[in-house]
Formats: sequence, structure tokens, C-alpha cells
Amino acid sequence: MKMDEEIVDFALEYAKGKKVEYAEARGQSQQRDQLSLRNGILEAYASAVDDGFCVRINAKGGIGFASSNKWTKEEAKEVVDLAFKYATTANRKEKLVFAEEKGVKTKWSVEQKKKIENVSPEDRVAKFVELNKALTSCGVKIPAIGAQCSIDLISKYFVNSEGSKISSFVPKIGAFVFVSVAEQGKTEQAFRQFGYSGGWEAFTEWDIEGNMIHTAKVLRDVITKGRAVKAGNMDLICGSEVTGIAAHESCGHPMEADRILGREMSQAGRSFIYKGGPYWIGTRIGSKTVTVVDDPTVEHSYGYYAYDDEGVKARRRFLYKDGLISEFLHNRESAARLGTRGNGSSRTVNYDREAIVRMANTFVLPGKFSEEELIEDVKSGVFMKSFTEWNIDDKRFNQRYVGREAYLIENGELKHPVARPIIETTTLKFWSAVDAVSKEVEFAAATCGKSDPGQGIPVFTGGPSMRLREVYVK
Amino acid sequence: MSDVLNKTEEIVQKAKKLGADEVLARTTFGKYRQVRFSNNQVDITVAWNDYVTDVALAWKKRVVATQIHNFEDVDGNVKRLLQLAKVSQENPMFGGFAKGKFKYAANKADKKLADMEDMASYVSGAVDAAEKEAGGKIDSGGILYTKFEDVYLASSEGPIGVDARSAVEFSIRAFVEREASGHGVECSSTLKGFDPAKAGRKAGEIARLAKGPKIGEEGAYDVIYDPLIFGSMLGVWSNMVSAYSILLQMSVFVDKMGNKVAPEFVTLKDNPAQYSMPNRVFDDEGVPTKENVFIDHGVLKTYLHNTSTAKLFKTETTGNAGLVTPNAWNVEMDGSNMSKDELFKGVKRGLYLTNTWYTRFQNYNKGDFSTIPRDGIFLIEKGEIKQSLKDLRISDNALTLLGNIAGVSKERQHVHWWGEADPPSLSPYVLVKDVHMTKSK
Repeated sequence: MKMDEEIVDFALEYAKGKKVEYAEARGQSQQRDQLSLRNGILEAYASAVDDGFCVRINAKGGIGFASSNKWTKEEAKEVVDLAFKYATTANRKEKLVFAEEKGVKTKWSVEQKKKIENVSPEDRVAKFVELNKALTSCGVKIPAIGAQCSIDLISKYFVNSEGSKISSFVPKIGAFVFVSVAEQGKTEQAFRQFGYSGGWEAFTEWDIEGNMIHTAKVLRDVITKGRAVKAGNMDLICGSEVTGIAAHESCGHPMEADRILGREMSQAGRSFIYKGGPYWIGTRIGSKTVTVVDDPTVEHSYGYYAYDDEGVKARRRFLYKDGLISEFLHNRESAARLGTRGNGSSRTVNYDREAIVRMANTFVLPGKFSEEELIEDVKSGVFMKSFTEWNIDDKRFNQRYVGREAYLIENGELKHPVARPIIETTTLKFWSAVDAVSKEVEFAAATCGKSDPGQGIPVFTGGPSMRLREVYVK
Repeated sequence: MSDVLNKTEEIVQKAKKLGADEVLARTTFGKYRQVRFSNNQVDITVAWNDYVTDVALAWKKRVVATQIHNFEDVDGNVKRLLQLAKVSQENPMFGGFAKGKFKYAANKADKKLADMEDMASYVSGAVDAAEKEAGGKIDSGGILYTKFEDVYLASSEGPIGVDARSAVEFSIRAFVEREASGHGVECSSTLKGFDPAKAGRKAGEIARLAKGPKIGEEGAYDVIYDPLIFGSMLGVWSNMVSAYSILLQMSVFVDKMGNKVAPEFVTLKDNPAQYSMPNRVFDDEGVPTKENVFIDHGVLKTYLHNTSTAKLFKTETTGNAGLVTPNAWNVEMDGSNMSKDELFKGVKRGLYLTNTWYTRFQNYNKGDFSTIPRDGIFLIEKGEIKQSLKDLRISDNALTLLGNIAGVSKERQHVHWWGEADPPSLSPYVLVKDVHMTKSK
């Protein structure tokens, strides 16, 4: 793996020689192995090191960014010159500055209990061949199984004109598994994603076989036993997976300050929260039962980091607190524009992308009930344990979740599977309807999309089960 | 630059010498530039230079791939790759890389796009055009993106070629009110005729018409799709004709070869032609690219293939090879004799949709999905726009929508936007009957 810190330092020093308000240089080297299997057959094994460096400059109120994967001083000069030219020719009326931060000198890394480097390619492939065997012998007809695994060893070196010098190393493993189940001439399909920051112990944490066999059986049961729900107002219990996606989509995203300021308006969109609008910090958006946080410091989580990509120390952020809009996610640019401090939410996927405001691990904090207690108190409703199709509008207010594993609840008891129940509602109605939250928090891995060019970034979504009263389900 | 081709060929020769059965190497020297703007001002200008060789090789049907940057440590990289192949697993479905010597069309990439000067002024010109068309103050955001790539491909199986690929794209979303916006795009392979102000005017016009939106009503509507939003659907169908999607059952076209899947006047093609953003003269195996009609007058005619999937399906490659799986490059829908205005006149009561995002499927095989229209959503009565609407969702089926196409305009636009209208396409205005719309309750 190549990480020429001397070139990164040189780029920063060269940039500091120009009339800049702020400059940073970041090197990144990423050893990535990718496995792609179809029906247990390895289509291809790709293994490569992607490395390079970038420079970001704030000068004359503009921002310029340039990167290269050619590690030479000449190239570093060209990159700095380009970034400086771009910053100084932006001609902005409203000058951009970065919120104040002190320089930090540190090193951090994520521990591997079982080092990825010590796991042979054969053993890596074998994990997914075994998964395929387990799925094809579980008693469910599965004509198509797709699996992809990415194994990343990510080294970063960050320096800036305020004296920061931060080195980090993060091993990360992610897997996607797709199953298409066929019964009675019908099909049902599901994607599952798994993610972990750490070593090969990820597979023990995930129980990927058990999870996928369960998913296949659920899909079979939806075909063979599932019944449509009679549309109407009813109680809905969201399992942790549904709680998590809602936390991500209708809490995390609208609380991203760059969206609130309009910087993403042409791509991922804006937010129902904006200055002068009906929602701002302190406005009620949910019941008192609801507290949603974003926390990069959850150990071994898919979205883990100790310092963000602007060198700001990571910490938990309370987004919705006791049902009130509480704290936005910020990078240094958005924080300065809103007159506050950054809170360590600046992330990038690679050396050739600017760091922007991102979530890390967004989840609902647990309550005091058991899941059984949530169900016991429902006369008529649906338990939506997991979801399939979902989406939300670009102001993050109108969302829809379609159940994958779901059951009818009658008089406090779980009954037959419900085929694809749908909740299609607003952010305000969804979070306001929550009256009880269970004790157990579970997480699911996801890849969050944003920016142009797209930066798919690893996150966790999660939370406990939540009970929503009298919402429309169809 | 033949030096680069020589170095690319050397990688192939080294891998062969070390024992690889088949080897592909593709070197890309790319210069990419982008201006991002919001609130009518430039937020950041970005440049990234890429010097990379993608290498794929097969040893006893074990397929492995890597990337080499700037030709550094070629020997070490090739050795490691071959070692990886030897401990990897056989893919009995691997049908080899494309074989033969091919002649390629001359490329006509625009060198001005290697380092376009004064990109910010293109942006400000388009923002001004949007504001003028909107008839008042706007809040706009978007991107101006340029690409220039020199591509060198060498294969142990015969193909060898050089290509230059250029593209320029402008995308603008303009708001006249908090919930009244329009989106316009301008896409090309060259600067000649590239007019970002046109995209600005389109965004401004839609935004002006979208003022004062009311929440729409659920139901089945006749819908006129703007070229931009229809580009999203063309992307969905083109992904589903990739042979890889068929093999994974992630397609509504499984077991439908030769079947009528759309009305007779619907013809869809893949064609990375010179005008298009993904223009290229060969695919990632070195096979010359060409026009592939995959739905011909309503009948499903072919899937899109690389050499391996073509062998599995007992047919020929269509020149759609990516390094691992086949994919569409640029989708074209044939136009008709009918004008856009005539298409509108034929709608007694329906909707005009201009853009969408967040398309997600419950089941790719069955085709059930939903997507969320954004920017202008309009109620049409007697061919005229009557009311701006908001907060509606298309909740329907991909195969049903294809079958319910009822009219196509002669006007077509080359469109691409973010990951939503992707891959790029040549897209007309299209009338689709009985599209199901839902909303929050």
C-alpha cells in the first residue's frame, strides 16, 4: 500500500506558500478485495490498491479541490495550483469560511480480533461458497443467489494549515446478499447488507448464514401463507430494521446542515427544515418517546470513526431529542454558515472526493418495554419486522416502507404473515405516532448515497422496536 | 501516447509469460473537472486526474482483476494477480475474452474538454437564463462536469485499440418558491453546440409553472413523461436487459425473449454513439460497440452481452462488456411523427411529470416499484396545464408501464442526471396510460 506522507506534507507546505485562508492535504491508500459470486460460483476476484492524495483550499472566499494518484512533487504542485486557481476564481458574493477548530496531532485505528491480512483468499471465497450451500439446502427453492463482498484496509493521513496531523487505519468488511425465492409459480426477492469495522471476526458477529436462511424462509412464507392487510388506521410495530431506516431517512438526512443550507439541492435535495420555515431547532417533530442520535463512536460499527475527514473529534449527536429537533449534523463549512461549531460529521469515501456532511450510525435510543409488551397492548395491527421497497421525497417528509417480514397482530398476539404491508406517511405523523419503544437496540448496515459524483458511505441504521398508534397501513 | 499503449501491451505480455491463459489490460488517463453550485453561487470546483490500468486475467477459468496506477510496480502487481488466480476458484461459466482483430471507428473526442477554461462563467450564464425564464428571483443549484479520457486497450486474444472519450454535462435545479422547482440538463460529448443556458431556461420554465402547488390526489392517471424523467425509466429497462440481470432474475424480461412487451411503436436501443456522453468505439473486451435494438417494435429481441454471457445464451456478444458484467451504455428510444404539443392535446385529464428520484423495487422479477416525482408535477386537463401539484408517488410495475405506453413524441433529448437518469439516454416525451399514483396518509 502506498502512502507517501512526504508528498502530502509537501503539498500542504506548497499550498501554505500561497495566499490561502485555509489549506488541507489528505492522502489515502485503500487495499480493496472484492468477491462477486452468483449461485455459489466465483465470477471474479478483484484485488487492488487505490491510493492518491488531494488538496482543498479556501481562498478569497471560495473553495478549490484537486486530487491525483500520481505521487510526485510535480503532480502535487499541479494539484495545489489547480485547487488554488479554482478557489480564487469562484467569485462568491457570500464568502465561505470554516468554523474554528484547533489543530490536532494524533493517530487512531480500529482493532482486528482476527486479522484480515491473515485470512487467505481461498478462505474468503469459501465463506460464500458455504453460504450458498447452506441456502440451497435449507428447504426453500432459491433459483438465484448473488453475493458480493468488499474487504478494505484503509489508511489515511490528514494535515492542515492549522497544524493538524492525523493518521488512521480502518479495516472494513461489507457484504451484500441477494436471494430470489420461488414457490407456487411466484417469486419474492430480498437484498441483505452486512457491514463491520474490524477484522474477520465480522462473520461471527453477522451470522450471515442464519440471517439469510431466515430471510429465505420468510420470503417463502410470504408467498405461501401471506395475506394482504385490510387497509385502514391501525397500530403498527416497527422492528429495529424499519425503525433504523426511518431514523436514517426522515431524521438523519433532513438534519444534515448542508441540505438545510441548500448545498445538495440539485442532487439529494433539501430539507423540510429551513430558516424561516415551520421547523427549526426546538420544534416538535415527534412524541416525547422519540430520541434519535447519530454516533460515529459505536465500536466496530460500519460507520465508525474517531476523527472525521476534517480532523474534528467524533462524538454522539442528539438529532431529535425527546421529540424535539435538537442538533444538526455539520462540517466546518456548514457550521460557519450557521454560526456554530462543527460536530465531526464530515466524511469522504476516497482521496478524490471532497468531505461533506454525512451520517455515521443513526439510531433511536432504547425505551423500557420488552417487545412482547409492545405487542401485548395492540388490539389490531401489524408487526413490520423488516422492509423491502422504501423511499422518501427529497425534502425528507413523505416516506414509504413496504414490509418484507410482517405479521398480523390480533388481541396482543402475532398471527399469520402479512404480504407486503405498506406505510406511506409524513415524517411528522410517523414520529408523532410513537407511543412506546423497546429495550433492545439492533443495527443494520447500509450504504448511504449523496453528493455528485456519488459518495456511497458505510453507515449503521438501527434502534429498538417502536409502537406507532393509529397510523394508516395498506 | 503510443508509449502508453506499449506499456499496456507489456502488462498483457508479462502476464502471459507468467502463465495466464487470457489477459485484458485497459489504461485510462482521465481528466475530470466539476463545478458544484448552490444558492446561485459556486460552492466548490473540483479536479481529479486519474492514471490507472485495469487488468483482468484468467487462469484455468479462474478470473481475477486488479488496478495498476501510473504503471508502478507492474511486475509485482502482475505476479500477485496470477498468484491470486491460482488460489481462486474456477468459474465454469467463464467463456473467455473476445477473440479477433477488430477495426475501430475513428474517435472524435473534444480536446477542449481536457481542461475547460472559465467553467464558472458557463454556470452563471445558465443561472441568469433560468432566472429570466422564471420571471423572478430563483435559488438554483447543480453541476457542470467535464471528462476527457485517453483509453488504451490490449488483449492477449487479439483486440488492441486506442480511444479518446469526452463528455460535458450541465445540470440545474431552480426554485422560485420553497416547493416550486424545475430541473434542466444539457449533455453532450463535445463543446460544439453545448448550451447550458438551454437547461437553465427549461429549469426556469418548469419552476415558474410549478408555483403554488397543491397536494395531488391518488389514482390512475394518463401521464406525460418529460424526457428527463423518462430517462430514469429507460435506465431501469436497460439495466434489466443486461444478461447478468437475467441470470440473477433481477429483471422483468426473464423468459420473455421474442415476446411482445410493449406496443408496436416502441423501439429501444443501446448505442454509445459519437454524440453521447458514454461514447466509445470498443467495449471493455475490445469488441467494437454498435447499435443494439433490444426492443424492436414492441418485441424483446436481445439481451446485452459480453463474450461469457453470450456463450451461455448461445449467441454473439453485443459489445456491452464491462470488466465483469455486461451493461448498457446509452439508451435510445425511437421517436414518432407526433409532436410534443400533439401528445399533450391528446390528454383529457392526466399528469405531466418532469423528474423523479429514489426508484426502489420490491421485486425486480415481478417489477413492482415506486419512485418519487420531484420538481414540476402538473395536472393536465384538455391538453393544458391546469394546476401545479406536489407530494405524489408513482407506485406501479415496470413491465406494466412499458406495455401501457400510448404515445411518443418526435422531439428527443440527450439526458443524464446524477444516478437517477442513468445510463444516459436519448429520450422523448412519452404518454403512458393508467399510471398509479399514491400519497402520504
